[in-house]
Parts: sequence; C-alpha cells; structure tokens
Amino acid sequence: MPKGLRLLIAKEVKDLLRDPKILIGLILFPALLLPLMGAAINVSTWSTIEKASGNLTAYIIDDDGGSVVEDLQRYASENWINLTVTSGNPADVVKTLEGGGTIVYVPAGFSQNVTSNTVGSLILYTNFKEFSIVEFIKAQRVSDLISAFEDAVVKNKVEGSMPGSDPNSVLNPISVEHESVIKGTAQPISPTLLQSVVRLQGLMGPLVIMIVLILAMQVAATSMAVEKEAKTLETLLTIPVSRLSILFGKLVGSVAIALLATIANVLAFTYYIGALTSQMSTGAAGSDLISLGLVPSVQGYLVLGLTLFGALISALALALTLGTLSQDVRGAQSIIGIIIVPVFLPTIFLMMGDISTLPAAIQLVLYLIPFTYPVLASQALITGNYGPILLGLVYMAVFTFATLYIAARVFSTEKVMTARLAFRRKGRREV
Amino acid sequence: MAPIVVIRDLIKEYSGRRALDGVSLEINEGEIFGLIGPNGAGKTTALRVLSTIIKPTSGYAEVCGKDIVKEGSAVRKLISYLPEEAGAYPNLSGYEYLRFMASFYYGNGGEIKAALAEGERISGLGDRMRDKTSTYSKGMRRRLLLARTLMVRPRLAILDEPTSGLDVTHAFHLRNVIKSYSKEHDTTVLLSSHNMLEVEYLCDRVAFINEGRIVEVGSPSGLRARHEAANLEEAFVKVVRVA
Repeated sequence: MPKGLRLLIAKEVKDLLRDPKILIGLILFPALLLPLMGAAINVSTWSTIEKASGNLTAYIIDDDGGSVVEDLQRYASENWINLTVTSGNPADVVKTLEGGGTIVYVPAGFSQNVTSNTVGSLILYTNFKEFSIVEFIKAQRVSDLISAFEDAVVKNKVEGSMPGSDPNSVLNPISVEHESVIKGTAQPISPTLLQSVVRLQGLMGPLVIMIVLILAMQVAATSMAVEKEAKTLETLLTIPVSRLSILFGKLVGSVAIALLATIANVLAFTYYIGALTSQMSTGAAGSDLISLGLVPSVQGYLVLGLTLFGALISALALALTLGTLSQDVRGAQSIIGIIIVPVFLPTIFLMMGDISTLPAAIQLVLYLIPFTYPVLASQALITGNYGPILLGLVYMAVFTFATLYIAARVFSTEKVMTARLAFRRKGRREV
Repeated sequence: MAPIVVIRDLIKEYSGRRALDGVSLEINEGEIFGLIGPNGAGKTTALRVLSTIIKPTSGYAEVCGKDIVKEGSAVRKLISYLPEEAGAYPNLSGYEYLRFMASFYYGNGGEIKAALAEGERISGLGDRMRDKTSTYSKGMRRRLLLARTLMVRPRLAILDEPTSGLDVTHAFHLRNVIKSYSKEHDTTVLLSSHNMLEVEYLCDRVAFINEGRIVEVGSPSGLRARHEAANLEEAFVKVVRVA
C-alpha cells in the first residue's frame, strides 16, 4: 500500500473516532441504547408477569347457589385463583375493586342450564383504572379460567355419555401432522412455523445490510464535509500525495469506521431482539435454519460478499462525491438523508416478501437500485434462488465503476474545490 | 539568477468571467514577493493556480522549471501552500497535525523528527502543541499552519493573506517568522496581502494586481519613488486609477 494512502487512512480513522458526532452518534449511542432498551423491556416484562402471575383473588356473586358454581370455585382454587364470595349489585361492587379486579356474576338457573345441556351464562365484570398490562393479564386469567372450566365440564359430559372413551379423541377426531420438504429433505415442521422461522431469521440479513450502508454513507459524507468545513481540504490538495489516494483514504477510513459501527449496532440489536423474543413463546424456539437443512453454501456467502462489497463501494463513492459538493456537515447530512431512500427501499420491500410477488413496476425499480442485490443475496442464502442476482452482479459492477469514476473525476479536477450542488443558490466566488 | 517562478499570459476563467487576464510574472529565488490587490482582483486564483489546486484556462506557469499543469505532482514536492482560510483537523493535536503533514514529505523518522522540532519552534506554541487544535484561538491556529507550511523547507512558500484577521501580537509573530525564515533558509516566499504596511516591511518586490491583470511590479521603495507616493498604499491607488 502506498505510504501516502496509509497515512491518510490512519489519519482518517483517528480523526473520525475522535469526532464526538461519529463516536457517540454512530457507535456508543446505539451500542448502549439498544441493550438498555432490551434490559428495560426485560425488567418491566418480568415485573409485570411477576405481579400478574401470583395467586389471584377474584370475586363471585352467586345468585344461583347450584353445584356447578361449587365446582367452579374448587377448580379455581386448584388453579391459583381464589374466588371470594361477595354480594350486591355486581356493576356497583366492581367499582370498589382495584384495577384489573374481576367479579364473576352467576345468574340464577346457571347450574340448572349447564347440567341440562343448555347454555349457562356468566357475566364477568372487570374494573379498568390504568389500562396497564397487569390489569389486562388479571382479567384474562379469570376469562381463561372460565374457558378451561368449560373444557373440563365438556369432557366430564363426554365421559358420562360415552363410558370408556377418551374425551380428547371424541372432541378432536382428526389429527394433522406436517412434513415440509426443504431442499429435498422432509422436515417435521408446519408451513406456518417454517414461515415464522425463515422470516424471523431472514429479517436480520437485510436489516444489517441497510445499517452498514447507511452508516458508511453517513461517515463518508461527513468526513468529506468536515474536510471542507474545517478548511483542511485545500491544504490537503497541495501536499505531495495523489488525489486518488485522498479519495481511497477516505473510502477505506469510512469503511473501517462503518464496520466498527456495524459491529456495535448488530451486537446491540441482537441483544435487543433477544431480550424481546425471550418474552415470546412462539413455538418456533429451538428451530433454526441449520437444523432445518437450510445451510447457506460457500458460493452463497461469496455472492453476498461480492454484492455487499459493490454496494458499499458505490454507496461510499456516491456519498463522498456528494459530500464534496456540500459546503458543510449539515449540508452533507441533508443530502445523505435523501439518498438513503434507495438504500432502505429494498429492505422495506423485501423484508417481508419475495420480489417476484411484487407488482412489475416496483420490481423494475428495485432491480434498478444496486442496493437491492445484497438483500436478494442474503435471501438467496436460504432460498438458493440466485437467478436475478448473477445478472445483478454485472449491473452492480458497472454501477460501482461508474460511481467510482465520477468520484475520481471530481477529485482529480478542480471541481473538488469549485463544484457546488446545482440546487444551491449561486453565490459570488472569492477570487 | 534564474527565476524560480515563471508565469506567462496566465488566464483563468470561471463560467466565462476572467479571474486572471493574462498575468505574467517572474519571481527570483530567495526573495519575498508580494501580490497586492483589492478583493476580487485575482490574488487567490493566481496562488491556487501556482499551488496546482486549479488549472489555468490558458497560459503557462512553472516552479523551479516544472510545468504546473504537466508536472503537478513534482511541483507539489517543491511548494508549500498556506490558504487564506485554512484550518487544522480539529480532533488532532497540533503535534499530531504537524507529524501527519511532515510524513508526506520525508521518508525516515529522523527527518520527520527534525521537521517537527522546526515546526514546534516556528509555531512558538510550546505545551499547547499537545492540545487538540479545536481548542486553539484563531491566532494560534494560524501560527500552527504557518509552521506546517515552513517546516518542510519548501523551495517556494505560497502564503495567502498570512496575517489576515489576526491581532497585533500574532500578526507580529508571523511576520517576523516569515522574514527570518526566508533569510535563514533562502526560501522564496510568494504572499498576498491587503496590508500595505506589512508588504512594505516584508517584501523585496511586489506586484499590483487589479481586475485579473498585473499593473505594476517593483521594489516597495522603487514603486514609491516611481509614483511619487508617500507609501505603497498611495502608489497603489495612483496606479489603479491610471490603469
């Protein structure tokens, strides 16, 4: 590596890492904020669950006095819900309860109806004060208790009317098992579950790609604009180092910082998602792509690497060129705010679906955006569908060389000093 | 003595407007040469062309026999340019900034070290050299940048308004450094300035530039005598009025 380029890269990394805007805004802030959010979710979820999952006291106003009500009370106490008998008008009594407090009102004739195979009605009164998760969980627990009790009553009736039979078999006479054939191998997983596993894990690729590209563009445009704002560019152009070295120094320096920022972001994001999903029981836990036989191939990673590299270089060349045309950091960030739209469009469109299912016009737009191909390549790791990507690689190579050529042209001519964005008002030049 | 800078019929146009309109000049080795003119006269454009930042529309210029257009990279090894509105990297210390710049000019650690010592001496910033340049006053930053310009011992130092906007103390320091450094190292200096007193004090020869044209060249005393003026300011006004 030429000495000038090495010096410029070292300076670039040092200068950017010491820049509070970069260090705090792009690396430390997400690295700390996302885990903090995850921890906060963990703490609040656990405290909510703890508060709502202990022994619960609900109330019952019994105008029936029948045997089914006694069964219900016994069933409730076996399931950690104490149904305390109270009296009065349920609509009035419920107002005196704490938030989430529930009254089970049993009208007269309830037991008679249930035992004579007609519908017995109950009314649940719940007092909501803060609409907190705890209140909803408490109310739901009483509702779930009634449903479970209903199942027990039904099974009891089945056993009574069909002695010796299994009530579960009577109530669910047909059982379905799934065998999904994945890349030629049958796997015992339902299509619904498979979709949730593939989508959840396939989501990360496009998201990470979007984060890398956007961060790299922000870093590159900012570093170029800082050079202008701090009035260091003019001096840099007169020292004995080639202008292409200055361009590539900025490219490599920006990639290095963007990778650092990406590692921080991805680690933080993974922790955050982990904290979030650990609270969910999806039934897909334990299912991953590898255990389902969806092992990405080496060629797949190579294609992903190539498309990502091309996207990164062209994004940086574009950002550096536009950063050069900006007067200051704020101007550069405004421009980047506009040009990141084509970066996140493919992620948004392809995060939840297949490109072939989109309308033809949107497909065309996405195929014209070079940043679509790394997203497609990350999906192809799972699907193995490389058809449009291989053609896209040629397009990406052309686009990358074109953006690099434009950036090199801007740098190698006096445009690096004199060019201004066309939509800016032309001012008088100092000569 | 062969001139170190030769400029012939230099023209520079921006969108059809001529910033330089046929400038011709010669600057001798070891002299301090001043370019004087009002705002928009073409001083900065002339210095940027010589520094290889921008290319002339037509005409010819050379530094130490090297064509500034065809041999730009060779010229950049011979010159050191201080722009009027230059800055230093705010997140680097003064010392780190000088070391970064010196590394482009010298191959080994000993030479870089010597250049750094020279830079520290020229700047006169002492312990503040270890502080980030973002903490410097305008005057301190200008002293650091002049040190950066001169520490690499250029054959030609190009200084655009070196003391512009500085207080008396910093301006005094910079002027003395430029004068003594040029004499000590036989360094040729081309500077632009609005400050006629500064130019009279510093320069061996000056050129008046107005509307992109050189309208007069000579020593400060010679120009004063030729135009029967009490000082350069008066001489400049008389010349421009005639031109």
